[in-house]
Amino acid sequence: MVAGLCLAAALALGMAIGFPSVAAQDVDRMAGVRAQDKVLRGDAKCTRCHDEDEKYPVLAIGRTAHGTLADSRTPTCTACHGESGDHADAPEKHPYPDRWFGRDSSQSSDERSEPCLGCHQGGSRMHWAGGNHANRDVACTSCHRIHASHDRVRDRLTQSEVCFTCHKAQRIQVNRPYRHPIREGKIACSDCHNPHGSAGPAMMVRDGINDTCYACHMEKRGPFVRNHQPVQENCAICHDPHGTTAPGMLRSRTPFLCQECHEPSTHQGSIGSLAATGGRDKNTLARGCLNCHTQVHGSNSPLDERNERLFQR
Amino acid sequence: MSPGYRRIFRLTVAAVLPLSWGLASAAQAGADGERLLRLTRPGGTVEIGTGYLSSDGIRFGQYSGVREEGAYGLLNVDAARRFDASGTWLRLTGRNLGFDNRELRFEHRRQGSWGYHIDFSQTPRYEPFTVHTAVTGIGSPTPAIPFPSRPGEPHVLKTERSAVGFGVNRSFAGKLDLQLYFRNEEKDGARVFGRGTRPNLAGVFEFVPEPINSTTRQFGATLGYGGKRLQVSAGYYGTVYDNRYTALDVAGGSPVGGGNALNAYTPIALPPDNQSHQVFVTGGYNLTPTTRGTFKAAYTHATQNNVFAGVPLLTPGIGTSLRGRVGTLLLQGGVTARPLPKLSLLANIRYEDRDDRTPILDYNPLATGNYGYLGINQPFSMKTLNARLEASYALPAGLRLTGGLDFDQRRREYGIPIVVRHRPRTDERSYRVELRRSMSETLTGSISYIHSDRDGSGFMGTATPGYPDLVSPINLADRSRHRVRASITWTPMDPLTLQFAMSESRDDYRHPDAGRLGPQAGMSRDYALDATYTFSDAWQATLWYSRNETRLEQLSRTDPATAGGRLWAAALGNRSNSFGLSANGKPSHRLDVGSDVYYSDITDRYRQRALAGPAIASLPNISTELVNMRLYAKYALLKNAGLRLDYIHNRFRTDEWTWTGWTFSDGTRLSQNPNQVVHFIGISGYYSW
Repeated sequence: MVAGLCLAAALALGMAIGFPSVAAQDVDRMAGVRAQDKVLRGDAKCTRCHDEDEKYPVLAIGRTAHGTLADSRTPTCTACHGESGDHADAPEKHPYPDRWFGRDSSQSSDERSEPCLGCHQGGSRMHWAGGNHANRDVACTSCHRIHASHDRVRDRLTQSEVCFTCHKAQRIQVNRPYRHPIREGKIACSDCHNPHGSAGPAMMVRDGINDTCYACHMEKRGPFVRNHQPVQENCAICHDPHGTTAPGMLRSRTPFLCQECHEPSTHQGSIGSLAATGGRDKNTLARGCLNCHTQVHGSNSPLDERNERLFQR
Repeated sequence: MSPGYRRIFRLTVAAVLPLSWGLASAAQAGADGERLLRLTRPGGTVEIGTGYLSSDGIRFGQYSGVREEGAYGLLNVDAARRFDASGTWLRLTGRNLGFDNRELRFEHRRQGSWGYHIDFSQTPRYEPFTVHTAVTGIGSPTPAIPFPSRPGEPHVLKTERSAVGFGVNRSFAGKLDLQLYFRNEEKDGARVFGRGTRPNLAGVFEFVPEPINSTTRQFGATLGYGGKRLQVSAGYYGTVYDNRYTALDVAGGSPVGGGNALNAYTPIALPPDNQSHQVFVTGGYNLTPTTRGTFKAAYTHATQNNVFAGVPLLTPGIGTSLRGRVGTLLLQGGVTARPLPKLSLLANIRYEDRDDRTPILDYNPLATGNYGYLGINQPFSMKTLNARLEASYALPAGLRLTGGLDFDQRRREYGIPIVVRHRPRTDERSYRVELRRSMSETLTGSISYIHSDRDGSGFMGTATPGYPDLVSPINLADRSRHRVRASITWTPMDPLTLQFAMSESRDDYRHPDAGRLGPQAGMSRDYALDATYTFSDAWQATLWYSRNETRLEQLSRTDPATAGGRLWAAALGNRSNSFGLSANGKPSHRLDVGSDVYYSDITDRYRQRALAGPAIASLPNISTELVNMRLYAKYALLKNAGLRLDYIHNRFRTDEWTWTGWTFSDGTRLSQNPNQVVHFIGISGYYSW
C-alpha cells in the first residue's frame, strides 16, 4: 500500500511538473551552442558533413544524455573522436578520424574504450579493467550505440539480442521450455550479470552466484535447520538459469540429477522408470524424487519425526 | 494483482494518456518546420490499440498473461522531455500496460545534479500444466486433501510478482554521488507442491498446493567518489524476506500406513523469514596511465530467526527459532597493467569466507541410534579462494597471444556427512591459451584452449550404516576438463558478414578411491553460424543456425536388498537444432516492415543400459518443437502518426511425459495440451513527437 501511494505520488508530481512545462515552447535548444553548431558544442566542422542522411547518422546524439548541453560534463565530437584534422580537412579522401569505433577500426578495444572510461569509470563500471569483456577485446561501442536515441543494450526488451551477438548458446537456452522471462523483457541479462565487470565469478552483479539468485529467490537463502549442502554452496550445481528442458530449470531430470551425488543405498539408485508398478519405479514422473523429498532447498522444521532430515517435511 | 495495485494501475493509465498526449501535442506544435530540433530533441511515442489471441496458449502467455483466447489492450508509452536550459529531464515509460506483465517508470532528474525515479513492475508466472484436483484451499496455508481420492475441477495455478521501486540520487561538486534506493516486491499465488511417504504403502503421494504470499525488500545507499585517478564507492545493501505462510497445516489426506500415513505429515515447513545487511567499499585507482588497481571489501551479516511452526518433542533448550546467522567476508583485489605497448598483464585474487555461526543443537530428544538419526542441524561454511594471472602479447599481423592461469580452492565445513560423501577441500587449476586477431577490416577471430584439473583432499565417508560410499558428488569429484572455443567474423564483401562460433568441452570425472559411481564423463558442443546481409540502406536481414549438444554419462546401482544391486548406466543427452531469420526493410517512405522467425527442435535422450544382469528399458525421448514467427508493418499516415499491424504465430509441441500417466493418490492429475498453436493479431495507432 505504501509503495502504491509512492507510485501515485510520483505520477501526480510528474503531471504537475510536466504539463505546464510542456506547454511552454520557448525553450532554446541551442543554448550554449554557437550559431553554426547543430547539436554539440563545437560540432560545426563535423555537422557540416555529418547529419541524419549520412551513412553514419549522428544528430540523434542530441536526444541522449550526451546531448544535454546544460551538463558541462557532456562531450564534444572531438572529445571522443579526436581533433581528426586530416579527416576534417580532406573529407573527399575519406581518411578516418583520429579515433573511430566501427567494427573495421584498427584501434584496440582499450583505445576505443578510453574516451568513455574518462567519464564512466566509477560506480558499476569500477571493475571494467580486468573483467572478461575488457580482456576479450570488447569495447564500450561493441555493445552501446552512442549516437542513437535508442540504445538497444539499455532497453530490457532488446538487451539480450545484443548479448546474443556473442553468447550464442544462451540465445538457444532462453527459449527452452523451462526458462526465465527473458524474451518477455521481464528479466534482462544485466539483472544477473554486470557486463562492466564485478568482483565475483561470471561477472555476477552481487559478486556471487547465490547472492545474485537471492535477489529474487530470497526464500532459498535460509539458513535452515536442515541444510542441503549444494544448495548453500552454489545454485548452479543443480540449475541452469539460462533455461533447460527439465522442470525448475534443473540441469537434468530426477532421479539422474540426484544420482550425481547420492549413494545407491536403498532406493536412490533406482533405474529411471515410467512404470506404474510401484511408487519408486515412477521416479521420473511428476516431481520425481521431489515427490517425497519436497524440501530440497532446505527445511526449517525442527522436528525429526517424519523424515524431516531427508527434506520430507 | 492486489486491489491496491489495481487501483494504482487505473490511476497510472489515467495519468499516462493525458500526459502523453499533452506532451505530444505540445511537441508537435514546436516541431513543425524545425527538422533539426526534431532530430536532436528527446521526444516520445504513444501506441494504443487492441489485439486478439486466436486460442488458449498457456506456454505462449506464461509470463505475459496473454494466454486465453480473446481480446487484449495494447498500450505503450515512452515520453521524454528535456528542459535544455537547466538539463532537467522528465521521462515516463510504460510498456505492456494492457497485459499482466505491465511495467511503468517515471523519472525526473537534473543531469549531473539530482534525480529520482519510481517504477512499477508486474510479472505473472502461469504453471504450464493445468491441475485437475478436488483439493480445496488452493492458495491458503490450510489446504484440504480428499480421502478417498476423487477427480476434481481444472485449476490454473499462478504466481505473480508486483514490485515498486524508488530511488534518488544527488551529485555534489561533480565528484561525489549519493544514491538511495528501495524496492518492495509482493509475490502471491500458488504453485505445484506435494507430500509423499514410503511408496510401498497405499496413498503414497498427495497434491498439496504451496501457497505463496511473501514480501521481498531490497534497499541501500551508496556514496561514490569519481576522480580522474581514484574512484571509490561505499555503502550499504539490505534485504528482507517476509513470508506470511511459513507452514502448511494440511487437513485430510490418507490415513493409510499407520505411523507413515500421509495425514500425519503436517505441518510442513515453508521458507522462513530471513534478512541480510551488507556494508561494502569498492574502488579503482589508476596508478599510471597504463596501470589500474581495483578492490572490493564487503561484509554481510545474514540472519534467520523465524519462529518454528511446530515444536513438540524437541530437546529442551532448543528455543523457538533456529537463531541462524551467517557472516560472509569478501575481499578482492586486482591489477591490470601494460608495461610495454605490446604486453598486457592481469592479476586478480578473491577471497570469500562464508561463516555459518548458527548454533549446533540436537533437535531430536528421542534419537539413540546412529549419527544420521541424532537430528542435529548442520551449518554449512565455505572459504573460497580464486586467483588469476594472465599475460597478453601483441604479435604482428594484428594477432594477440594470451596465456592465463586460474586457481580455485574451496574449503567446506559441513559437520559429519550422513548420506552423501563429503570432501572438505577441492582445488582446481586452469590453464588457458588464446590466439586472437581482432583488428582487421574483413576478418577477425579467436581460438582458445582451456584445460583444468580439479582434485582435493580425501573424501569423508558417510556415517549411515549400509551406505556404500560409491559416489563422488559431481561438485566434489576429481575432474579433468578440456575446452576449445573458436570464433570467426568474416566480411567477404561489404554487405555480407558471416560469423561462426564453436565451443566444445569434455569432462572426465576420475574416481581414484572407492567412489566409482555417479558422473563419469560429460560433453558440451555448440556451433553457430550467422549471416547478415545488408541489401540496401532500407533492407537488411540476418539468418542464423545453431546446433547445441550436451551429454553426461553416469553410473548407478540398484538396491542390493530388493533389486540385486545391478550396475546400470545412463547417457543423458540433449540435442537441439535451431534457426532464426530476422529481416526488416522500408519498401516506401511511409512503410516499415519486419519479421522475426525462431525455430528450435530439441530432443532429450535417456539411454539407460544394464552393465550386469538382464537388460533394462530406457526412457522415451522427449522432443520439443518451438516456433515463433513475428511480423509487423508500420504505415505512416502522417509524418509522426500512423498505424502498426502485428502478427504472431507461436507453436509449442511436445511429447513430454512428466505428468502423463501420473495421478496423485488424492485423484489430482496434471495435463497440458501437447500441441499449442496460437495466432495473435494486433492493430494499433501510434503518435510520435
